[in-house]
Amino acid sequence: MKRAVRLLGTGRPRPLPALALALTLAAGGSAAWAGQDWYRAAHDERAAYAAQRDAALSAGEQAVQNLNTLDHRELEQGLDLWESSTTGELHEQLADGRDEFAAQVKEAKTVSTARVLSGAVTELDDRAGRARVLVALRVTVEAADGAKTDKDSRMLGELTRTGGRWKLSALGQAPVGGTSTG
Amino acid sequence: MSTTRHHINRQRRRQARETRPAASATVPERAEDAERAAARGRTRGATAVLEPTEAATAGPPTTGDEPKAPSRVRRRPPLLVVLCALTVLLGGFAGWAHAKAEGLRSEPARSNTALTDLARTSEIKGQVAKAVNRLFSYDHTDPEALDKAAEDLLTGKAVDRHRELLADVRERADAQKAVITTTVTDSAVERIDGDRARVLVYADQSSVATSGKKTKASEKTAQDEGVYAAAMLAVDVVHRDGRWLVSALDTFGR
Repeated sequence: MKRAVRLLGTGRPRPLPALALALTLAAGGSAAWAGQDWYRAAHDERAAYAAQRDAALSAGEQAVQNLNTLDHRELEQGLDLWESSTTGELHEQLADGRDEFAAQVKEAKTVSTARVLSGAVTELDDRAGRARVLVALRVTVEAADGAKTDKDSRMLGELTRTGGRWKLSALGQAPVGGTSTG
Repeated sequence: MSTTRHHINRQRRRQARETRPAASATVPERAEDAERAAARGRTRGATAVLEPTEAATAGPPTTGDEPKAPSRVRRRPPLLVVLCALTVLLGGFAGWAHAKAEGLRSEPARSNTALTDLARTSEIKGQVAKAVNRLFSYDHTDPEALDKAAEDLLTGKAVDRHRELLADVRERADAQKAVITTTVTDSAVERIDGDRARVLVYADQSSVATSGKKTKASEKTAQDEGVYAAAMLAVDVVHRDGRWLVSALDTFGR
């Protein structure tokens, strides 16, 4: 019996377990490699920065569009949207001037619709939560008599991140002439 | 495979024949136990999930073989089953993790390196600003300069688009003996995708007429000493021979 066992153990070649072991080791190796590759991809700082850039841009474009869109028939909703799209000084300005502005628009009976033509981020401070964007905008204003006029605007926006969301903290048009320093 | 198994089976049969007479008292009992265990194992194995994998790699023992080498049936599957299961699990994880990593990397946010690659971003901004300044400036005393700029900086469909955009301006400037100067005031890179990029540009165009008559720049009427017109456009560029060439000019339908 003893001899037989030894015979079984040493005499017979064991290709199957050896092959299976080799396959398992190979699988283990690739699993380890793929795992750390995945980890690196998920913790890529550049990717996080890129995600912030895209978040800031889409929030910026949306906010700029919101602030250039107003329907005199849905004044309150429109102005609520203005306030929810902004933060800081710009928010205060809008809130302070709200009543006056609402009265003006009601009087003029205009409907403004904005469309973003193109937008891009110029600066992004991920840590401080600040960004600057350029937004090319086309605003269509429909007057009380139904006449429509298109106007292109070169907007410069400044965004601040508050509570994980990007909101517009300053907005203006790019100045034309004279101030161009390059 | 079949020849090896035949060989193994033959070997086993021979060994079984050899051992049987030597182990007179203990073997029958043990063999019985083993057979029972093997039977148990077989019935269990029939429902076990991993059974087919094991059978595929190890090869099921032939019916004639079973009673002669029961210990083999009992001992071999666990090791192979464990190894196979591990292989499948680890291989599966490797594939899944790889897919996850690739998925993350192919996110549009990542393939766009605007701002994440600061050096490239500012290089593109600088070259596009210079290109736009040259391509949209015109001096009636030196019309060749514009042709030269177009030749140097444009490629693809931007060539025709530029000619189209400038034809009018050129004619007017020649008639009024005007000098048109374009200066990029703001620009931002929307997207960099390898050797392609798109830049949003704000520019001021000033026009100075020397003929003393009325001057026009873009769409606005002007006074004698010059006027500024606001322009905005999106410029597509491609990287070629170490330089960024303008491949498309988008004036947003204007």
